[in-house]
Amino acid sequence: MRKEFKAYTREIERASHDENIRKAISRAVKAYRETTAGTFQRYPHTPELAAEVRKIKARSVAQRKELLAQAMEAVERNKGKAFFAKDKQEALLIAGEIIGKDKIVVKGKSMLGEELHLREYLEEIGNEVWETDLGEFILQLKKDRPMHILSPAIHVPREKVAELFTQFFGKEVEPDIAKEVGIVRDFMREKYFKADVGISSANVVAADTGAFVIIENEGNVRLATGAPPIHLVLVGIEKIVPTFQEAMKVAEVTWRYAQYGVPSYVNIVTGPSKTGDIEKVTTYGAHGPKEFYVIFVDNGREEMAQDEAFKQATHCLRCGGCMYECPVFQITAGAFGETYLGGIGTIWNVFTARGLTANAPQIHTCLRCGRCVERCPMQIDVPRMMGELRKRLAEG
Amino acid sequence: MAINPVDEPSKVEHKMPPVLELIRGNILKYGNPLALTGKEIAAWAQGLNLPKQGDLLFYTGGEYQLLPYIDSLVKTMTVMKPNSATFSLLLGLRNVVEKTGIAPEKIYASVLASEKERFNQVAFKAARVLQTLGYEFCYSGEDELYSGALLYELGYWEDFAQYGQKVLQVFEASKAKTIVCLSPHAAEVIKLLYPQVGLKHDFEVKTFIELVWEKRAQLPRLSTEQTVVIHDSCRLARDLGVTEEPREVLSAMGVDFNEPQRNRAWTTCCGGPNKFMFPELSHTIAERRIEELKCTGAQLILTSCPYCLSSLKQAMAKNPEPGIADFIEFLYEGVVG
Repeated sequence: MRKEFKAYTREIERASHDENIRKAISRAVKAYRETTAGTFQRYPHTPELAAEVRKIKARSVAQRKELLAQAMEAVERNKGKAFFAKDKQEALLIAGEIIGKDKIVVKGKSMLGEELHLREYLEEIGNEVWETDLGEFILQLKKDRPMHILSPAIHVPREKVAELFTQFFGKEVEPDIAKEVGIVRDFMREKYFKADVGISSANVVAADTGAFVIIENEGNVRLATGAPPIHLVLVGIEKIVPTFQEAMKVAEVTWRYAQYGVPSYVNIVTGPSKTGDIEKVTTYGAHGPKEFYVIFVDNGREEMAQDEAFKQATHCLRCGGCMYECPVFQITAGAFGETYLGGIGTIWNVFTARGLTANAPQIHTCLRCGRCVERCPMQIDVPRMMGELRKRLAEG
Repeated sequence: MAINPVDEPSKVEHKMPPVLELIRGNILKYGNPLALTGKEIAAWAQGLNLPKQGDLLFYTGGEYQLLPYIDSLVKTMTVMKPNSATFSLLLGLRNVVEKTGIAPEKIYASVLASEKERFNQVAFKAARVLQTLGYEFCYSGEDELYSGALLYELGYWEDFAQYGQKVLQVFEASKAKTIVCLSPHAAEVIKLLYPQVGLKHDFEVKTFIELVWEKRAQLPRLSTEQTVVIHDSCRLARDLGVTEEPREVLSAMGVDFNEPQRNRAWTTCCGGPNKFMFPELSHTIAERRIEELKCTGAQLILTSCPYCLSSLKQAMAKNPEPGIADFIEFLYEGVVG
């Protein structure tokens, strides 16, 4: 454990002196607080809706086994194929089986993808994989890891982006944000239509209808899940709620706390593209994907749900609001965390990757100050859980 | 060829960093994290002749008295790397003394900041403020034990539950009904955390500022030129829900105060909690909080927690403005003078 503390301490100290992080995060924190203050005023029902979603989440975790069965059934009923993966290895093998090799894959941003190291795996087995989210694309080129779950490249300023793009595209790219966005748009457009497979995750899943809800601004998910002939969804089993109506409530709370204000797009996908326009004969693969696959991934989530002390952590909507309020995160960004970031992220990393001991430094980084709980729409008691993790570290 | 996608988890030695083990050992053996003696911790009360029994128990938990030691240790840590053997030696002085015969007082004295007197006086000042407001109370003196907050913080919950029994025995010996805590950490521990680990008790637990607030009508008006700003402590504001009391106390004394943007339940942590493990990070967090407080234009920051006081004070380094004082010190000037 001591070795881990040393390497981590170095990294966290480096991050805390990183001017890029300092500038970017203080700007981001300010923007987050301003946007949410504004949208909370415009949509004053939000806290009440969040309270309702807390109940929905608690009920969904209690009924998780039935809901998973219902959701899988719904996918099949809607002419998709549903799989269940117990762990990372199973999830990757199933994805690999569906995709095969020598394919072009376009991928939407997914924390589950990060958790599984999905892109790296698909590349290893011989595919060309593109992150279509701009932030993720920048990190793909930079061979870096996300520093925030929603704004992964929060720590990379435009000058650095221009440098990366100039090198990658083989032509001079100015440090002008609009131009940087433009060049990626042109590049990706071609990839969407050449791609064999589009991969996405989902913010919430409705068990009754088999509806997968994906919130986004860029439009990359629309294209990545609409243009290629195959759409593959990988989603954590904790995302399932009983009904479509409830899923909409979860989605609204998620985007409000995730600083979307109003998201440009909310995608709802239930199965392959279809038409009945000729003689009322249902034919699949009209304009969108002909094939639709879903892999429901456990990878530690069931264990979390069964553990009384951590059950509530499965309610996390991944809005990222807590991170903006975390005094440590405000200084170190994603250096506090691994795949998942900050306090709640550390709890998730313990269950979904590397376990207790490897996460010991992060567990002891948390101040247990509790401001994340003030922000969290699910009121997840991270300080209490951190205490519990420390207890398990100290006492086994 | 199939590629095995699962990385092998690295096998690491499951052993807590030595700094944590030492803090734990000191609390269990000496009744406080830095192995001071009861005599050292109770020195402030000489001359006050406080009884050992009464309805209201005055509880310092040793926390303010320990601050200069923590300060100098953390200063040592930032040059010495917290998990090094030398540092462990320093922190475990009382453990070392039995084997080597080195007098810890001498070594502690050499690392002490010049402010030992200031922090030792905080408990005295708190007692005098309460007396002036008409409170009568008792104090356990050399028998008083630290609350054990760090045992809980660091995950030693079994030790915490056992150790807490000893603390409760000292409380019971006082025959008190109400305990007034100078530190919100102690108040949280006794009020909220002891019951969680099975340590049930009937003591009413209050913080110093709440007691002052109850007698706010008796507070004198202050004619101060300084603009002050309140730094809410996380424990006090979020865990104990005490946010309006300090403000109403100031208003009662006619003291103008500014509000930082992040205040009350949204207050920003001073960085104190991870000081032992990540001293540099902790220092940066404190510096940022100072910035937030400073931009209110206030000349004096008021805190209500020993660790906030210590962390923020250090982060201001040599800057004279704004000043920083604990509410206890501020009230003493105004009430007892």
